[in-house]
Amino acid sequence: MLSTYSYSALLDQGRAAGADFAEVYVERWRRRALRTIDGRVEEATSGIQLGAGVRLFFGEDVIYGYTNDLSDAALGELIANLAGLKGDAAGRPDQAGRGGIDLRKLDAGPDIHAPTVPFERHDKLWRLERLRELDAGARISPHIKQVEATLLEWEQDVWVANSEGAYVEDRRVRTRLVAQAIASDGTETQTGSSGPGLSMGLELLDKHQPAAVGKRAAEMALTNLRAKPAPAGTMPVVLGNGFGGVIFHEALGHLLETTGVARNASALTGMIGQQIASPVVTYVDDGTTANGWGSSRFDDEAAPTERTVLINKGVLESYMVDRWGALKTGYRPTGSGRRQDYTYAPTSRMRNTFVTAGDTPKEKLFDGIELGLYAKTLGGGQVRPGSGEYNFAVREGYMIRNGEVAEPVRGAMLLGKGPDSIKKIVAVSDDEANEPGMCGSLSGSLPVEVGQPHLLVSDIVVGGEA
Amino acid sequence: MKVTEAKKWLLAEAGRRGVDLEVLATSQSKLTIQARDGATSDVGMATSGGIGLRVIKDGRVGYAYSEELTEEALGWTLDEAIGNADLQEQGSAALPAGTALGRHELVDEGLSAALQEKKAATIQLERQLSADPRVQTMQNAGYTERRSEVEIGSTRGADGAYHVGHASLFGALVMREGESVKQGYEQDAKREFHQLDPGRTAQETLRKLGRHLGAKPLKTGRRRAIFEPDVVSTLLALFTYAVSGKTLAEKRSRLDGKLGTKVASELVTIVDDATLPDGLGSRPFDSEGTAARRLVIVEDGVLRSFIHNSDTAARTQQANTGHAARSYRGTLDVGTSNLLLLPGSGVTYGSGLLVTDLMGVHAGANPITGDVSVQGMGLELVGGEQVPVDDFAISFNLFNLLERVEEVGDDAEWIAGWTGVAKVPSLAVDDVSFAGA
Repeated sequence: MLSTYSYSALLDQGRAAGADFAEVYVERWRRRALRTIDGRVEEATSGIQLGAGVRLFFGEDVIYGYTNDLSDAALGELIANLAGLKGDAAGRPDQAGRGGIDLRKLDAGPDIHAPTVPFERHDKLWRLERLRELDAGARISPHIKQVEATLLEWEQDVWVANSEGAYVEDRRVRTRLVAQAIASDGTETQTGSSGPGLSMGLELLDKHQPAAVGKRAAEMALTNLRAKPAPAGTMPVVLGNGFGGVIFHEALGHLLETTGVARNASALTGMIGQQIASPVVTYVDDGTTANGWGSSRFDDEAAPTERTVLINKGVLESYMVDRWGALKTGYRPTGSGRRQDYTYAPTSRMRNTFVTAGDTPKEKLFDGIELGLYAKTLGGGQVRPGSGEYNFAVREGYMIRNGEVAEPVRGAMLLGKGPDSIKKIVAVSDDEANEPGMCGSLSGSLPVEVGQPHLLVSDIVVGGEA
Repeated sequence: MKVTEAKKWLLAEAGRRGVDLEVLATSQSKLTIQARDGATSDVGMATSGGIGLRVIKDGRVGYAYSEELTEEALGWTLDEAIGNADLQEQGSAALPAGTALGRHELVDEGLSAALQEKKAATIQLERQLSADPRVQTMQNAGYTERRSEVEIGSTRGADGAYHVGHASLFGALVMREGESVKQGYEQDAKREFHQLDPGRTAQETLRKLGRHLGAKPLKTGRRRAIFEPDVVSTLLALFTYAVSGKTLAEKRSRLDGKLGTKVASELVTIVDDATLPDGLGSRPFDSEGTAARRLVIVEDGVLRSFIHNSDTAARTQQANTGHAARSYRGTLDVGTSNLLLLPGSGVTYGSGLLVTDLMGVHAGANPITGDVSVQGMGLELVGGEQVPVDDFAISFNLFNLLERVEEVGDDAEWIAGWTGVAKVPSLAVDDVSFAGA
């Protein structure tokens, strides 16, 4: 968007004001959302987001500002205002960078996430037809009373330049299809959902046929309709693969971000090299998975993404490290600096984070459990990284009785303290899968994948009906 | 182009293309200051804004927005909005007849203090929080102020603007006592900087979190629950989903057909009032230009009104209550302004469990069914003492819970957070399910 000259001049201005490091981030989004209820268009919207964020480091202190006026004058004024805000604690004026910053464009090679069916290929009516296929696919029972279908399309172009001379351009195209079904038998009403999303174009709808996505949501709603309220208490829990991984995302992943670690605000601060989880657990955060919902070629501070092994056989090997986290802790940066958009400064965040496959066949996990819970699909959750306390909702759950999956239950909530729960994982199966979600934290709401194989936790508090 | 210019260009262009258009433009500015180790550390300043379009073409509605105010981008945005309208089935959507609404200043001098004063308040907050020996980590101590200029215009004559703003102090920290570790966040938001008090915010933050240190696992069982105002504001936000005209129009409201009937204990009266001088959610008109007013939603337990915008009112054949809510990036919705649960004669603290916070509400509460099963923080009332407890979940059906309210507190306080703006007291309900050890 800006010329190389503009980036250079702005970065120079930041350094001249005494900043040890300066960064200019520019982005432009085009987004579309189409939502139907019972096959009728309920909402159709499109939009352009455009803005620039400027970040200055004075030692470990960070100044961030943004604007959506991208003229050289407006950006120059923003940097001047930011430097003025710092006032009392401004760093020393930098003389080393005189003569301008020589920006080098970093190359990440071919874009493995690039769409094969770009958004321009089809018109709006074609999209509406696909959502109607989803609706039809969900009509598997007269108890299905309402079906909502949503198609989300994001095109994000990002430009980042910094005073170390790095310059990157990245284009991120993402598509997501979401089905929600409501089932009712006249007295009870329950819901089910399904929502595949990947870093790709409209080929998502070939990979995940809308009718099948609708059917999956309807099946979940019908299961919940015949489910009884979950019991309350502490019991063994088998967590389903795929979105079951949200337990690790909440209970473990957030505690491994340097945003918390560097401030001693994570219960897992300073534990590199220590056995923090059961030896059956290997946990990876990978920003490079082809077409992964949380993948990109570069992070939002011009670092290439990578595959980071966080926990290897229970031993903590790495945190997720952004630029500020690296500065503060000395750990190697892992390309984990992410932000929702220009209105947020980047912080260390997860990308596609999953427990790797083990060798126990799934069926074996249930052996010997007299009474337990099979949490097949989980909803979202929440964590307080400082204390490790987490919780998440079970979207589709069944009782386990005498080693067998028994009747469905609803309304269960799993909760505990992450550092305790990860020690209680006793077996990991061989069916690893990832699913997309949106993760909210300091730097906004971001696309991430969570994943795991089926796994058995010896005991978790289940919140249900006492 | 500037926002006002873009608005004019779009209204003229819509006229040429023969469609009705409503434009909602917002310009925001934000200042943030954080303190660490007795000095300011991270600071930030930002301006942003954009323009949202609602097009009506042959009774069909379409939306689009842009933050790029070039003719090319605005042209694309108008084309998309019209294309989105064309997708709709034959409808009878219409823009409300607009009037001249004037320009309203709701900020005045409220945020005009010098930068140094704001920095000093932030540093004072950080110092007072850090001084407590139980504070293991200061995650954040900061000050934020926001100003928003909202402008609307339509081809049917709506034309007006208002300027609102607020300032807030916040603290996020981890406290430890022995092996017990608790993390918490508090904020205090006011319409004027000088209404903030760093000493009071520090004290409240430390009191609210510190009382949970040393918590023991709670035993599973059913017991009386007293919900503190923070928790009540969350419950009320869930209830708002059911009284939303949009939920009703989409046939998802549990309260469909319940107007004039009892939906809560007779102790419960819920009001929304956009006209309060001290309300953070006050506004002269809603996002469609309908004038603000006071609306009784539940009166002595009886459902009196849903909350509507012009569209949901027409679709449900009810009256427009002036609750259109929309950001320029979003589509037309309904939303509350200052939501009030009127105070009662007080709650008794003899026995039961004082529920002080709910966690995981976005995942553990189903607003359609009202089923809630979430993690709680609390204090068990034992022989006049408040004993901290943790590792428990609380489960109930919201609609059932509201019917069973036994006592309403006289301690109403303003709560401003992700759930919106509310002024609510404590509530007591008997026989609530708790799951723990």
